Amino acid sequence: MLETEIRELLAELAGDDGTSAASADHLAAEARRHIPAKLLADWQRQCRALAGAGLSTGTRWGYVRHSLVVAEQLGAQAAFQLAESVRQIAYIAGRRAAQALPHAAAAAVRRLGTPGAFRLWLNTVERYAPQMPDVLAALLEHTDRVLGQVGIAGYEAWVLNGLRASGGDRARRHAYFTFSDPDAERALMREAGEIVYADLDRRLTTYLTALWRLRLMVRAVGGSPGRPLPRRASFDGGVVWVPETLPGVPAAAAVDLFRASLAHVAAHAMFSGDRFAVGGLKPLQIALVSLIEDARVELLALQAFPGLRRLWLPFHEARPGGAVTAPTLMARLARALIDPDYRDGDAWVDKGRAMLFARRVSLHDPTISRGIGNLLGNDLGQMRVQFNARSYIVEPAYRDDNLGLWDFGDDRSDNAEGTDIFDLVRIAPQTGDDTRPDPCRQEQAPEEAVNRARPADAAAQEEGVPVARYPEWDYVIARERRDWATVVEYAPVPGAAFTIEQFLKRRSDVVNRITALVRSARVSRPVRVRRRLDGDRLDIDAAIEAMISRSAGETPDPRIYMTSERRHRDLSVLLLLDISESTNDRVHEDGATVLDLERQSTALLAHAMAELGDLFAIHAFCSNGRNEVRYQRLKDFATPYDNQVKANLAGLTAGLSTRIGIALRHAAADLRRQPTLRKVVLVITDGEPSDIDVQERRYLVEDARKAVITLNHEGIDVFCVGLQSDGDRYLTRIFGRRNAVQVDRLELLPEKLPLLYFRLTS
Amino acid sequence: MELRAYLIADEPYYRSIGNEVWLFEAAYARRIPLMLKGPTGCGKTRFIEYMAWRLGKPVITVACHEDMTASDLVGRYLLDRQGTVWWDGPLTLAVRHGAICYLDEIVEARQDTTVVIHPLTDERRVLPLEKKNELVHAHPDFQIVISYNPGYQSILKDLKESTKQRFGALEMGYPAAEIEAEIIAYEAGVDPVLAGHLVAIAERSRNLKGHGLDEGASTRMLVHAGQLVAQGIGLREACEVALVLPITDDPDIRDALSAAIAACV
Repeated sequence: MLETEIRELLAELAGDDGTSAASADHLAAEARRHIPAKLLADWQRQCRALAGAGLSTGTRWGYVRHSLVVAEQLGAQAAFQLAESVRQIAYIAGRRAAQALPHAAAAAVRRLGTPGAFRLWLNTVERYAPQMPDVLAALLEHTDRVLGQVGIAGYEAWVLNGLRASGGDRARRHAYFTFSDPDAERALMREAGEIVYADLDRRLTTYLTALWRLRLMVRAVGGSPGRPLPRRASFDGGVVWVPETLPGVPAAAAVDLFRASLAHVAAHAMFSGDRFAVGGLKPLQIALVSLIEDARVELLALQAFPGLRRLWLPFHEARPGGAVTAPTLMARLARALIDPDYRDGDAWVDKGRAMLFARRVSLHDPTISRGIGNLLGNDLGQMRVQFNARSYIVEPAYRDDNLGLWDFGDDRSDNAEGTDIFDLVRIAPQTGDDTRPDPCRQEQAPEEAVNRARPADAAAQEEGVPVARYPEWDYVIARERRDWATVVEYAPVPGAAFTIEQFLKRRSDVVNRITALVRSARVSRPVRVRRRLDGDRLDIDAAIEAMISRSAGETPDPRIYMTSERRHRDLSVLLLLDISESTNDRVHEDGATVLDLERQSTALLAHAMAELGDLFAIHAFCSNGRNEVRYQRLKDFATPYDNQVKANLAGLTAGLSTRIGIALRHAAADLRRQPTLRKVVLVITDGEPSDIDVQERRYLVEDARKAVITLNHEGIDVFCVGLQSDGDRYLTRIFGRRNAVQVDRLELLPEKLPLLYFRLTS
Repeated sequence: MELRAYLIADEPYYRSIGNEVWLFEAAYARRIPLMLKGPTGCGKTRFIEYMAWRLGKPVITVACHEDMTASDLVGRYLLDRQGTVWWDGPLTLAVRHGAICYLDEIVEARQDTTVVIHPLTDERRVLPLEKKNELVHAHPDFQIVISYNPGYQSILKDLKESTKQRFGALEMGYPAAEIEAEIIAYEAGVDPVLAGHLVAIAERSRNLKGHGLDEGASTRMLVHAGQLVAQGIGLREACEVALVLPITDDPDIRDALSAAIAACV
């Protein structure tokens, strides 16, 4: 009897959606099986209620199907809760999210397994839905992945992390919950308790600096569907790639493994000479030469740092005996070469060891690796031991894949990370094969997508929005022309934030110096104030003077105390960058452009200002006649200094002319609204004001001067950093002698600018 | 003689690392004001004590700080029952009675404070006591020496150009490895091999200068570490106590430094 009813219900729910009778039959049978007879009526009611709530057929049907899975695993009550949640979510976050929920619930049930955990999951989803209606569907679609990695315990933390990190920015929130932001994956790993390389980067690179004064660029490479995590570190020139996480390695050991791995790569960086030419070497010989080279550089490192042996040896687990295969013999040889207490007994291993030890005095010569490796390779070949180049992985785990040691005679090695070294030997050189993942590309992907989108969007980008008109000063008539020039604001075009990060990392010495400065210039530094009416200590000089006056019969000055006060930095700074055509000039031949230097110094300065907690904005300007003074807001006072800003900075391009006065007036409009006591515009410019519609050089200089004077009257300080050696003439005229600084050696600008800033604002 | 308390009775241990003793003597012979530049704990103060002993002159040391006023240097009127009495500050004492006045970490003092030494540092060699209306002519033995650590704070705090140009300067640094080991072995009473290890360890921390540390481990810190080892503390622990924990609160840097120290032995 019931079964007919259910079938009717299903037919009703399906509407004219064309669901086949067979699937309805099947579901009706399922319902009978998984839902107790006395609750079947309730279940039907829930299904009907969803239909009544105006949800789409897909949602209703999804519920019918997946609630049965839920009921099967966790009982009918859980299925009813799901119906309630579907209605809630539909109400809060819309139909798309509601439709994703039943499917997600089925996945959650598989991952969670208890009614309690399932309820907790539903509650979490409902609780956060109002904060993320736009991305809830995305979150639900990834339920299986997220719960599979962090379980219910880490679920909420991961969601919250995404909400916090995006700070109300929809685009970023979307990137996080759709996993197009690598941070999402990283946060997931963190929640799962895995050691993520990014968390160790600073301490491990510092470790290498301490040992060898070496600054290595280390990039973590993550896995993604279809591309497994690399299993070994790799290096190439100045860059080292390491796996982002070490799956299956316990947390305590993971730190050691990362450390051992980087110490090993650093040993290569210190002691490995030029790349070996592959020539006619066979894969086995390449593997053995690499192995000897590994041992050679480690032995050299151990001469200075014997303690490194404690770091490396635990990973050498090879033991004498066992099956005689090439990988096991090589692992034993690797151990025999750096473990003085190891006794192997195998003739080949002992021979390898004896050969290297015989050359102990000439370890600094890299050619010995090649010699010994070749001989050992021949021996092993004659022993008829199998060597499968495809499946060979360098042992022990901390050693890198040795790709950086070899010169394959073409440019493939430039992005050959993740490739099997022997592929390069076997496969004939063949360029243009770009299916191989490039680790750099991975993180850049979103930004590159933006870059690539540029031509298509060009039209939209070209459309600026006219936002304001400002007067201009004509010195000839000594009068302002009203509403003379128009400011057109353009949205900044994001570039690769990565390049800015990389620069900051490369100049970590300067960054650190700035950080140290920041600490000493920090906001609330106590200042002693003397001669106070009250205070916590006597001001000894004032007290004595008071006593003297009293003895002399005069009225003593009662201000005889001193106290400490905290002085706060109360300051907003607007950094105004000149990006006119001339900033495309190269400072030296084949060197950086002026714009590059502006970019770099802005990055350093922004770093300092963010550390100081000063309010700051970064804007850029150029002009194309008086009706188009282009203005870009890379960062506003209210936005945080984050990757988006760095991307905007990286994406700056130079062009057109320099109508500085109008830009200053527009900047002032922003600064005026700042609540701080002190307001500063810091202009970085490389040339004399000029524009296509102005013939007379003096006109724009005088206008800019007028703008500066007006700003000063309003209490806004204007400083200028001039990047042209002969700029003294007009910059002094515009900004005043004390407020214009010339930087004579442009290469030093990135270092100089933050220091200048400290001087201006302290 | 007023300044007996300021005389150095016994020869302080000082291991010369260059011709600085000779240069100092030459400068003293003509009473040229001197500036000792160098990182903290490299032996500037010890060098001054040694030179004072060598020359048989008293040395008055003033540790400068940012609240120091000119009165703290020159002196001030104090009160007693009869009324006010003048009290000579350390600088005046040295000027009057012929001592070497050593102003330690002079950049810490405010710039307007340091200008009181200007008349003492040119041919005039006088110290005007404005409040007392007295002009003190420097004793022939008087010499002024300042220490100046051009650290990162020097952008915010620096000597006035007019102050800097009154001094000759001796650059002091951490000694070469063998000499430093010799110093540590002597001062801490440890064997030369251990002292060598300590120097190697110091090299690790000095590599981090500017990359997380403002300054690497000084010779003084190494002596402390050596002394702890001489007291029976294990080397790793002694280094942790004397070399790592004092200079950084940053867990990453601490970890890096400890691991680098572990690699050295």
